[in-house]
Amino acid sequence: MTRPDSARLARGAARLALAYAAALVLFGAFILTKGANPIEVYSAMWRSTVTNGTSVGQVLVKAAPLILAGLAVAVPARAGLVNVGGEGQIIIGAVAAAGTALALDGKLPGAVMILVMALAAAVAGGIWAGIAAVLRLTVRINEAITTLLLNYVAIDLLLYLIYQPWKDKHGSGQPATRSLAEGARLPLIGTSKVHDGFLIAVVATVVIFALLRWTSWGFRLRVVGGNAEAARRAGLPVPGLLLSAMVVGGALAGLGGMVHFAGAEFKLRPGMTLNFGYIAFLAAWLARHDPLKVAGAAVLLALIAIGGDSLQVDSGLPAAAVNVLMGLVLVAVMGRGQFRRKPPVAAVAPVAVAGVAA
Amino acid sequence: MILPVEVAVGAVRGGTSILYAALGETVSERAGVINLGTEGCMLVGALAGYGVTAQTGNPWIGVLAGAAAGALLAGVHAVLVLSRGANQLATGLVVLFLGLGLTSLFGAAYVGRSIHAFKPVAIPGLSSIPALGDIFFKHDPLTYLSYLAGPAVWWLLYRSRPGLILRAAGERQEVLAAYGHSPLRVRYLAVIGGGALAGIGGAQLSTAYANSWFENMTQGRGFIAVALVIFAAWHPLRAVGGAYLFGAALALSPALQARGFGLNQFALDAIPYVVTILVLVVLGRRRAHAAPEGLKKVFEMAT
Repeated sequence: MTRPDSARLARGAARLALAYAAALVLFGAFILTKGANPIEVYSAMWRSTVTNGTSVGQVLVKAAPLILAGLAVAVPARAGLVNVGGEGQIIIGAVAAAGTALALDGKLPGAVMILVMALAAAVAGGIWAGIAAVLRLTVRINEAITTLLLNYVAIDLLLYLIYQPWKDKHGSGQPATRSLAEGARLPLIGTSKVHDGFLIAVVATVVIFALLRWTSWGFRLRVVGGNAEAARRAGLPVPGLLLSAMVVGGALAGLGGMVHFAGAEFKLRPGMTLNFGYIAFLAAWLARHDPLKVAGAAVLLALIAIGGDSLQVDSGLPAAAVNVLMGLVLVAVMGRGQFRRKPPVAAVAPVAVAGVAA
Repeated sequence: MILPVEVAVGAVRGGTSILYAALGETVSERAGVINLGTEGCMLVGALAGYGVTAQTGNPWIGVLAGAAAGALLAGVHAVLVLSRGANQLATGLVVLFLGLGLTSLFGAAYVGRSIHAFKPVAIPGLSSIPALGDIFFKHDPLTYLSYLAGPAVWWLLYRSRPGLILRAAGERQEVLAAYGHSPLRVRYLAVIGGGALAGIGGAQLSTAYANSWFENMTQGRGFIAVALVIFAAWHPLRAVGGAYLFGAALALSPALQARGFGLNQFALDAIPYVVTILVLVVLGRRRAHAAPEGLKKVFEMAT
């Protein structure tokens, strides 16, 4: 590495550190106006997230669906597609898993049940995202718009099922489906409180990384994302590649929904996805769609989200206030000015694919 | 009240906050900037409107505060997108989370507090017209203002010089620059103005519709507004129609249930989104042409 390079790297790292510090200071100022001591709030957050085994477990549990949904953004992005539909695909995955569990309750051994649920969730998520891809390829509607709209259809479908056909008649309070049988839940890793969903997410990250890096499919996606016209002239099956990227993305998010359902929630309830799809979109964006970094960013955002519980328990502030910290971190990282001087390859807009209009 | 009238009353009542936000988003997108954070702008507008009304006792000052809050948050979006070159879809979501967080942090103090909210005012004469009187002329003042807002935005965009400049910023900023205008400044104004309208929509929700504040009270209305703009093919008057259509879908199910028909609310709620997708499928290419050029580039960006 030449000296100017290392100097630039150091400057980049310094900017990033400064960005995080600025976000922390600003959030501290907000906390101060609410009459809480920022230093105490931060140290309580730190104590109850990083230095405590249970909380580290909670972070990883939360990170599992985020990682999968983040990859669901990263894979289509490789081909130049924007998948804002993680939220809906997660929901559809969870719905498919829950539906499978309700239909086959007690008829299958637990391990088989988990496999079937995962498969159903991945297929359902893939189909849900596939709708957007097909609409793009046939009637040329932009996938960012359709995936966003389909999120709401998915939410309404979830609510419809929870409030009527799948409602647990014996449940009290907020309507929800029946709890998933113990045997069909994702087992915990060793003696920890972290379920196998986290392992699934880690494996998926490595697999996607390898696929994008070392297979011809991954290479072709990048070509299509870089210049679809050139890809077509080179004889690549562009529509098929676009469809496959979107379906694989949807399947990953659907799997994320299953992991969240069978590992953490065990029942469908309103608001169960906690904006995971949108947070994952941001994680993927922060990581510039590099699969390994997506996983890292997802863990970071999960860490901040869990910090919200500490805000509530230790400092008496509303848990949702932690969204301010998350927003500020993202604003600081995005606004630190690196993009203007020299956009990285992934941030350069690819040439219009197939003449698609919004 | 007969069913169609009841639903229409509900459509206007429930659609007004979405209407303001959709008009704001139309302005912003016409200048080439999509703001997925409209939901956040509505939320801060709702809280600022409610909080300031609680402090001053005057809901009009509250609405101004709501507009200012929405504008301020949209300003964050504008800075990141326009001056820092960040991705629009991503920063929009960041703005949403900022709005969610800020309103829960500062809103906790106002939960359960009562205010001197806007009161419905029946317009003398007009309100006694059968059916139409109930539907249009027995509302709060912000709803009456919203009747003017749609045509006003239409006039601004299509019949005024600033509107021409604004649309040029969204279509061909090179042309605008060649004529000596600053596309950057126009876009800033459009995004911030759009945020202000979303803020008014939020304030209408808290100070005229619900008369209360609670966490995340907009419940997706801002996203609906963004979807509506696409449904309306970036046209302000169609966006007004879409907002009422959505309000009607929300009002239909309770109205039917009150008459003994069981109908699942959520099946109805999904209709506007499905219809939007179908409209895009049927009118696909024609609608697509309506999109501002600058916006097409956004949707085609990978990151």
